[in-house]
Amino acid sequence: MDQVTASTEETVEENSDVVEDLLVEEVSIDGMCGVY
Amino acid sequence: MPASSPDVVTDFDLDQAWRKHPQVALREEAFGALAYHYGNRRLIFLKSPELVVVVRDLENYPSARAALDALIPVDAHGSYERALARLVESEVICGA
Repeated sequence: MDQVTASTEETVEENSDVVEDLLVEEVSIDGMCGVY
Repeated sequence: MPASSPDVVTDFDLDQAWRKHPQVALREEAFGALAYHYGNRRLIFLKSPELVVVVRDLENYPSARAALDALIPVDAHGSYERALARLVESEVICGA
């Protein structure tokens, strides 16, 4: 049972990171021709 | 280590007043907005319309915490706090 609980907590933690990554994403455009 | 790790977050104080950096332009998109910084030439995707509202309206609140309290459901505060911390690193937002 404890294993199940630990597994669920891990999943929640991973999902939290995914949500965060979905909120902000940075793209480097340095070196792209014609961008600036 | 993922870029979203708390270890990368250094200078974000939730109780400080913040505002969109004056050199950042936001262009609204269906997914949220594109933020372009004319100084450091970084391009950042804000992938939530609610996050765009927070970034735009931050300067109208005495702190980031007050802005989140007013604009974002409590159960999502953690994700938005980390997102704002990343926006500090990218200089999309700065101290007011």
